[in-house]
Amino acid sequence: MELTFLALLTPFIAALFAPALTRVLGARAAFVLVLAPILSFARLLTYLPDVMAGEKVTGGFAWVPSFNLSYSWYLDGLSLTFALLVTGIGALIVLYAGAYLKGHPQQGRFFAFLLAFMGAMLGLVVSDSFLMLFIHWELTSITSFLLIGFDHERQASRRAALTALAVTGGGGLFLLAGLMFLWNITGVTQFSLLLMLGDDLRSSPFYMALFGLIAMAAFTKSAQFPFHFWLPNAMAAPTPVSAYLHSATMVKAGVFLLMRLNPVMGGTPLWTIVLPVVGGVTLIAGTVMALRQRDMKLVLAQTTVASLGLLVMLTGFGTEKALEAAVLYLLAHALFKGALFMVAGQVDHGAGSRDLTEVSGLYRAMPLTGAAAGLAALSMIGFMPFAGFLAKEEIYAALSSGSPRDLLFLMTAFAGNVLMGAAALHAGISPFRGRLKAPVAHPHEGPFGLLAGPVLLSLAGLAAGVASGQFHRAFGNPMASAVAGHPVEMTISGVPHAGLPFALSVVTIAAAAWLFSRIGRVQQNARALIDALGPGPDRAFDTALDGLTRMAHGLVRRVQSGRLEHYLVVTLLCLGLTLLLSLALQGEMPRWPALGAAIPPAEALVLLLALTGVGVVLVASDRLTAIVALGIQGFAVGLIYLLYGAPDLAFTQFMVETLAVVILTLVMTRLNLKGADHRGTGERLVDGAVAVLAAAGLGLLMLKMLEGSFDGRLSDFFNLYSRTVAHGANVVNVIIVDFRGTDTLGEISVVLVTGLAILALIRLRAVAGRRRLADNDPADAEEQA
Amino acid sequence: MIAETLTASLHLTSPELILGIGALVLLMIGVFAGPKSAGLVNTLAILLLVGVMGWIYVTPLEGLAFGGVFKADAFARYMKIAALFAAAVSLFMAAVRAKAEQLDQFEFPVLVVLATLGMMLMISANNLISVYMGLELQSLALYVLAAINRDNVRSTEAGLKYFVLGALSSGMMLYGMSLVYGFTGNTGFTEIAAALSSETRSLGFVFGLVFVLSGFAFKISAVPFHMWTPDVYEGAPTPVTAFFAGAPKIAAIAMLTRIVLSAFDPVFHDWQQVIVFISIASMILGSFAAIGQKNIKRLMAYSSIGHMGYALVGLAAHNQTGVSGLVIYMTIYIAMTLGTFAIIMSMRNAEGQPSENIDDLAGLSSSNPFMALILTLLMFSLAGIPPLAGFFAKYFVFVAAIEAKLYALAIIGVLASVVGAYYYLRVIKVMWFDQPRGGFAPASAGLKLVYGLSGLFVTAYVLFGGMLGTAADVAAKALF
Repeated sequence: MELTFLALLTPFIAALFAPALTRVLGARAAFVLVLAPILSFARLLTYLPDVMAGEKVTGGFAWVPSFNLSYSWYLDGLSLTFALLVTGIGALIVLYAGAYLKGHPQQGRFFAFLLAFMGAMLGLVVSDSFLMLFIHWELTSITSFLLIGFDHERQASRRAALTALAVTGGGGLFLLAGLMFLWNITGVTQFSLLLMLGDDLRSSPFYMALFGLIAMAAFTKSAQFPFHFWLPNAMAAPTPVSAYLHSATMVKAGVFLLMRLNPVMGGTPLWTIVLPVVGGVTLIAGTVMALRQRDMKLVLAQTTVASLGLLVMLTGFGTEKALEAAVLYLLAHALFKGALFMVAGQVDHGAGSRDLTEVSGLYRAMPLTGAAAGLAALSMIGFMPFAGFLAKEEIYAALSSGSPRDLLFLMTAFAGNVLMGAAALHAGISPFRGRLKAPVAHPHEGPFGLLAGPVLLSLAGLAAGVASGQFHRAFGNPMASAVAGHPVEMTISGVPHAGLPFALSVVTIAAAAWLFSRIGRVQQNARALIDALGPGPDRAFDTALDGLTRMAHGLVRRVQSGRLEHYLVVTLLCLGLTLLLSLALQGEMPRWPALGAAIPPAEALVLLLALTGVGVVLVASDRLTAIVALGIQGFAVGLIYLLYGAPDLAFTQFMVETLAVVILTLVMTRLNLKGADHRGTGERLVDGAVAVLAAAGLGLLMLKMLEGSFDGRLSDFFNLYSRTVAHGANVVNVIIVDFRGTDTLGEISVVLVTGLAILALIRLRAVAGRRRLADNDPADAEEQA
Repeated sequence: MIAETLTASLHLTSPELILGIGALVLLMIGVFAGPKSAGLVNTLAILLLVGVMGWIYVTPLEGLAFGGVFKADAFARYMKIAALFAAAVSLFMAAVRAKAEQLDQFEFPVLVVLATLGMMLMISANNLISVYMGLELQSLALYVLAAINRDNVRSTEAGLKYFVLGALSSGMMLYGMSLVYGFTGNTGFTEIAAALSSETRSLGFVFGLVFVLSGFAFKISAVPFHMWTPDVYEGAPTPVTAFFAGAPKIAAIAMLTRIVLSAFDPVFHDWQQVIVFISIASMILGSFAAIGQKNIKRLMAYSSIGHMGYALVGLAAHNQTGVSGLVIYMTIYIAMTLGTFAIIMSMRNAEGQPSENIDDLAGLSSSNPFMALILTLLMFSLAGIPPLAGFFAKYFVFVAAIEAKLYALAIIGVLASVVGAYYYLRVIKVMWFDQPRGGFAPASAGLKLVYGLSGLFVTAYVLFGGMLGTAADVAAKALF
């Protein structure tokens, strides 16, 4: 178990040492670093016999026990095959990258990112616990971001990196939400347990939400329409990255997720309609866009989009045959597409360009590369007896039941295969046939590191087709069984059986070849078609991002003006609305109090005074008037206290109001502010309205409070005991000096200390007064700053 | 009898007493030794804070003091240690940059200690009156701190804004408290809860509740009472901002948690709606408004608004998992924020002038790879990307929300964090992919230490997070 744990961590450990190692050994570090994937591969290979026998291997450690978090793995046909692909192709890619980026000043950093990605991807596929899957899923997005942006001097790279991260990283959060749903519905946090549950998920009321979240995660990661645009952009990355992340491994993570969950989530109407439709649209869109391209890498990238569409379509289709086809196609694709990408890098390296209009006839100069490209292209168009052939036969067999729905998807698959075949021939054959043409004088074959990958992968594609029996037993059957949820036996072999699938295969290849023979015309048509459709999601994404930024600016300007007045307006508006709305909506508006016969003239006068004060505050054009008017209103309130027999309270109110007016006026004059009101009429109207609104809210609340019955416990208590216990006739006096005498003592002390402090301040001021006092003119202060 | 209860109360409040007396002693030293003692007072203040932290750690206190207005329990213990830690680290960073930021005044550390004392009272408050007392002690010190650079227009403006809006919110809170008192007849949390569960709540009480919560929302800078935050963060001297972003947030959130879970627990449906609303509004505003920011301090202000929204998700869940998640969230938030501010303080050009523009970080990966690496880790962590600490923070509160069946809240939170991730990633992009400009003067060893440790924390959290999780569970259990 420890060994397996180590095997899963090895790529990360290698990543840690990669920069230092590269500094010492240069490009030769690749030969040391390649040991990491090889060791992992070897360790994982020891599980193959068990998994072939249908066993499922689990293991792991508690990671953060208090949160039930574990680092645990689950190896079945699906995850083990993926893990072997990741490490196996990974080893070839490390060698390739060693030669491809030889002499690059940041090769060490590149190795570190690449190996970290490998570790993340490996962790993703073998994860048993949901959280571990999610963590590695996001790690693949981040490492992919760093790898795409590796050539950071180019604007396109930077943009592509950010786009890819925004789409796949954002999609990852859908995954997180989806996994949380899974956990909440079933109560389990591990795939090994989840897969034993049967129909629990399908019958859950949350199935639709769950499906939506999982599908979003899978579609963004696996570049399904309309999220496909990040993948072609990601071709800004160095070629080893494109070959590894953006064809063989990372982009398959979405398909992996769907396959992983197929046994417990598949088969529902939602699953069998949404996935095939989205996959089918992606397939056709991808192939048409592939035919438009001139850049070899972009052709391959678009066919990758199409292939992922095909995989999603088949996985969604859900019949046993369709799942077998998906598995076969996935494996075949990893082999031929990885090889073709590496060939593209080779051509770029050896001939100076990978623009298909600039290079041709390279076969003589680069025979090995050419042979590898040819083999891979043949596998891709489904030529007998390559792995691609098995896949295509199985696809046609799966879709040829004859029902209208099957027929529709059969036609889709056929059309997609024909177009993709033409693109494959274009990318794999065009650079090598015909008259020699290349930007550099002497196109040449690359070193061993560059050749090993494409040659081995394309040969593996051939071997898989020839030895189909062994291939099925080792990889195909266990993987298809894991995806289907029950044991599945594949029968397809490299020797064709006469029938509809074979006939379709022959027609596919013939049609692809025919299209390839007039590729110039096809490209024009594809370009015209895409232009006619208008701007795609790539542009839409930019627009959305721009819109987001603009919206953010607008939002900030609106809510964050930097002016205190606006903040106060907002706060008071919230206050007023909260009060009024909740009173109104809850049907709790206070009754208008019965005022009796009439208001006594004295009270009416006082009220008028208060209202006048408030009114003047609202309309006053300079500060001084407003301050004085506010004082008038305060005095009116004091008068009300007086009228209702609370002379002490009234006295306090008069004192406070007087002081407030005096102090405010003093401060205003001292601060040397402009006296006039700087607000326009509109602004003043708004301010006034907000003030009235907040006041109305508070007033109504007060009325509402008064409707409640008066709790007389305290008054009764003091009335009862003031005379008997404290021997005083005035309740207020008795409270202050007796019932809460200690508090009063405390208050007096505070006032005393404050007085002392003020005295000290005044003395200080007298000394300082001899110096010139700073004029608090804001303009002055700004100059000083 | 009275002597016994008094002794017990004094024992329970011993950390606060030490801190209070310590603050006065420091003030005396400052007054008598004059301006040149600033460095000494600062060092002593750090020692005082660390000493009290140690004292709280070694003597677990449990019980009610002074007739139930003050409560010592495991929750208070955890949050106090966190607040003291944040305050001590902020002071340490301020000491490093004191000269350049004109903070070499002995009043500065004294005010920080007094504010921290207020925070500890807030955390332990078990009565509306002690809540208010702690809060005002803290706030008054903070108002002065925001404006401590008297000769700087931005700093004085920040202080004034903070004061006016803070006074308004304090007023609203007091108004609410008086309503709560009026309709329940009590100011003690336990008594309020008893009154609420024995009779049906009245509308007046609900208004009181809303006003009290509005006041708290201001203190933790949650929407719609967040407006002061970006202006004050930008205007105040950076070490002060670092302090503002850390300790006061812990105290306010702890106080809010205690009051809603003990006093207002019987009416949790009422406050849950309010918390859900401010949580959603804060997450959304924090994410969207941050996108357009060019100044990194303002960016951190919006970031803190958003983070408070996420932390409140845990509280809205109204279960023990949620509170435990909230406690962890605050811990991780503090570690990330302090580290980020240590880096912001290290952003000085070759002449030593501080720079606060995000664009000035361009090409940092080549001019100062270590700082770039740490800031990258911190930004990824703030964005909530696994396996860094920030991810676990978000994860735990969302788990709690789902457990409480608050699906809408969890989903909006996740979506907001997608948007939020965008601006953190922009900072990373600028550092790694943009053309270098000038570069910075070498960071001082002290700041390097702080951000190095912070980076280590967010990276290594996956390995030792279990320990913190256990401590947070113990803390959360005290409230249920």
